[in-house]
Amino acid sequence: MPVVGAFALPHTPQLLVRPATEDRELVLRVHAAYAVVKERLAAARPDVLCVVGGDHVEGFFLDAVPALAVFVGRSAAGEFGRYRYAFDVHEPLARAIAEQGIEAGFDLTYSQDVRLDYAFYVPLHFTMPEPRIPIVPLYVNVYLPPQPTPRRCYAWGQALRRILDARPERVALIASGGLSHFPGTDRYASPDYDFDRALLASLAEGRGAETARLTGEELDKAGNVELRTWITLLGAVGAARAEVLCYEPSWHHGNAVVAWAVGA
Amino acid sequence: MDEAHYFFPPAAAYPLNRFLFALKSDTTARERYVADPEGAMREAGLDVEARAALAVADRDRLVALGAHPYLVFMAQVRLSMARDPGTFEYF
Repeated sequence: MPVVGAFALPHTPQLLVRPATEDRELVLRVHAAYAVVKERLAAARPDVLCVVGGDHVEGFFLDAVPALAVFVGRSAAGEFGRYRYAFDVHEPLARAIAEQGIEAGFDLTYSQDVRLDYAFYVPLHFTMPEPRIPIVPLYVNVYLPPQPTPRRCYAWGQALRRILDARPERVALIASGGLSHFPGTDRYASPDYDFDRALLASLAEGRGAETARLTGEELDKAGNVELRTWITLLGAVGAARAEVLCYEPSWHHGNAVVAWAVGA
Repeated sequence: MDEAHYFFPPAAAYPLNRFLFALKSDTTARERYVADPEGAMREAGLDVEARAALAVADRDRLVALGAHPYLVFMAQVRLSMARDPGTFEYF
């Protein structure tokens, strides 16, 4: 079954829990773009949402740092302040991705018990179709060096697409992350919005494959370590042109919501 | 990549990063710290430099000691949410 939708979404927690430092109108504009994605997801009628997210040292700490991982449990749960989330996981698809991904040469980690990170549940809070559908959390290490290379992420996305195309389920893909931001560093208030704008322009022309040639150093310098999740999705969508539903740079974060027309 | 914003976490900083991870992700550990910061830090075996830097949330100092910048950031966010929940808007 072809992939029936592909989206890249921000997940910064200030979109869920807004401190006084954040521009309320900007936050609401990002919510409006999330709402468009929610409508499109409902229209695409996926059976499963595959969410490619970068763990914020929440599910995985320094006791084990997988480069690429698949959650193959029954249910994925996490919490953030007063919020409690639990999502059913599509076990047959998750297991097929783990098995066939390894068969294809990607030494994936799998877990049946990882606490879900906000990279997954913030976008799902705003875009999960009703009634809810199961998810498959796919992990890319973005914050704990050495991270997987952009080239490797892109190749994994290509392999993932081949796996999904041969499956019976209708799958929508979500990449969660970005764009430019530097949490915890002295660059926090000065993200690289020029990088973001050039990137979005190239994606709108269907030039996503170029991201595979970025280096880890370039991503770190641009505040885009999380772009690895997008690059994974770009491997899966190929030359499809991106539609930028919003780009809202705040004082510290480039919030981008992007859609790709793919499949059925 | 020596000057990467997100650098390889040095092994010597593992106790500090472990503590920041707990502040960020473990409600019980966070409550314990809020109630008695010094006691919680001593119990976790943090050395005097780390305790002094964390007590005043000195980000630069913590990062210089090998703390992961993201962990420093989100530990502070979660502490702030725990201390002043009324200052946030919840969607």
